[in-house]
Amino acid sequence: METAAEMNKLFSDFSEYIRKEQDLKEKIRDEVKNLEHIAREITMIMQNVHQNPAQDEVLKCCNSSRANFATCKTHYAQLAALVPVNQFYHFNDMWRFATQKLAFLVSLTFFLETGKLASFEEVAESLGLKPEREKGFHLDLEDYLTGLLQMASELARFATNSVTSGNYDRPIEISKFVSELNAGFRLLNLKNDSLRKKFDALKYDVKKIEEIVYDVSIRGLRPAAGNADQAGN
Amino acid sequence: MSRGGGRGNRRGGHRFDRGGDQRLREAKDEQYQLIDDSSEIIKTFKQFALQLDAKHDRHERIVKLSRDVTIESKRIIFLIHTINSSNDSKKEQILDQANFRLKQVEANLFQAIAQELVGEDPHQFLRAFSAGLQEYIEAKTFYQFMVSASIPHWNEIQKDLTYAQEATEEGAEASEILTPVLPTEYMLGVGDLTGELMRRCINCVGMGELDACKQLCGFLRQVYRIFAGFDTFGYKEFGRKTYVMRQSLAKTENVCYTIQVRGSEVPKHLLAQAIHMSMDNPEEDEGFY
Repeated sequence: METAAEMNKLFSDFSEYIRKEQDLKEKIRDEVKNLEHIAREITMIMQNVHQNPAQDEVLKCCNSSRANFATCKTHYAQLAALVPVNQFYHFNDMWRFATQKLAFLVSLTFFLETGKLASFEEVAESLGLKPEREKGFHLDLEDYLTGLLQMASELARFATNSVTSGNYDRPIEISKFVSELNAGFRLLNLKNDSLRKKFDALKYDVKKIEEIVYDVSIRGLRPAAGNADQAGN
Repeated sequence: MSRGGGRGNRRGGHRFDRGGDQRLREAKDEQYQLIDDSSEIIKTFKQFALQLDAKHDRHERIVKLSRDVTIESKRIIFLIHTINSSNDSKKEQILDQANFRLKQVEANLFQAIAQELVGEDPHQFLRAFSAGLQEYIEAKTFYQFMVSASIPHWNEIQKDLTYAQEATEEGAEASEILTPVLPTEYMLGVGDLTGELMRRCINCVGMGELDACKQLCGFLRQVYRIFAGFDTFGYKEFGRKTYVMRQSLAKTENVCYTIQVRGSEVPKHLLAQAIHMSMDNPEEDEGFY
């Protein structure tokens, strides 16, 4: 019967298609595991800045992280080799979480080193990703932005711990930085997606840091704002 | 910097830490002065906003086109359902009209979607047009089945959604743009088709076309057979579709059974009633558009 032969062809063609895709997904999964492993290692390294927020210690952690970012480049290159052209978004759910985490760690490292915001291009370059889809395996803008929001959360914690260990300047710096980030994010028209939800949490980070600044200022602990006079007690 | 609030300048004397307030004000001022339009961060975020807007806008445009595809495809399906095979010329008329309308959808709506996808990764926007694409495939395969009792391969359908672009005067070469017919989308559309075929089978009984029932049943069985054979672990939608398909198939098979068993004892025009009464649960009707 004519239909039976056509059906069989549909069956074999589709089964072949699924099989190839599953094979590819398995290879991608393996590569992504490597990236996630590195992300966890770097996270552990960066947790040390909370324990010992002295600037030279912080920079040591940053250097350590930088070495690991270089390893990411190899893995992203291997990942890029697996993914066919124009199918980035067919599979990107598989590495999205890892990329967001790594973007966060890069921008955190950059801030701790320079006090500035790591640009989109800088983060892409650090991880070995292209800044534009047309140029190859790229950094997705929303992943970069999600990374920034994770960084803001981490900095809120860092501000707390800086004060605890006697560094009263840093929370001021952080407050200025995160407020600016907040102002920037407010310029975006976000849809009701996960980026929007994470952005909604940013205001709590902003508030927490402002409270820290208040605590520090009201007790005259800020060396920068004049003398440490005891008028406030 | 001034210390404290100054003796004569502050209202009320109940705040003892005038110094603290002043310091806090200064701290906040410093921050807010620096958040101005020329800040680097603000500038880059304005760029980000444009980028995100462009993507969202494109997504929305494709969603609108996809909705139009869905509506028209459903109407084409209803049109095809009105076919009564005993009236050949009417059948041909209806099929011609259906084909014409399918071609319109291809030439207008899907070409517009293809234009939106030029230079983009189509998978980034797949969710925007997946529903329309599946509904169209349902209509297209239904039409083809009524013509030739077989359905086109997705490669065939892809040809209808591929559009030649002529070479421009500016030197761009002749090329092709297309709306991708992913094999998974195709299969899910075919899964939906089985629901329509079941409906047709039941309508055929009402029209006395008992041979058509058997033909439909046989075809449906073929489709279910391959669905049952796919290894679609990890593709969630297939599980549900296969489950529904099995029920459609069972209903169709029961219809054929009833025809076989009672066909000789019940006059044709009462057969439809007999079949309705023999069917177990009244199916949830999805409702017509």
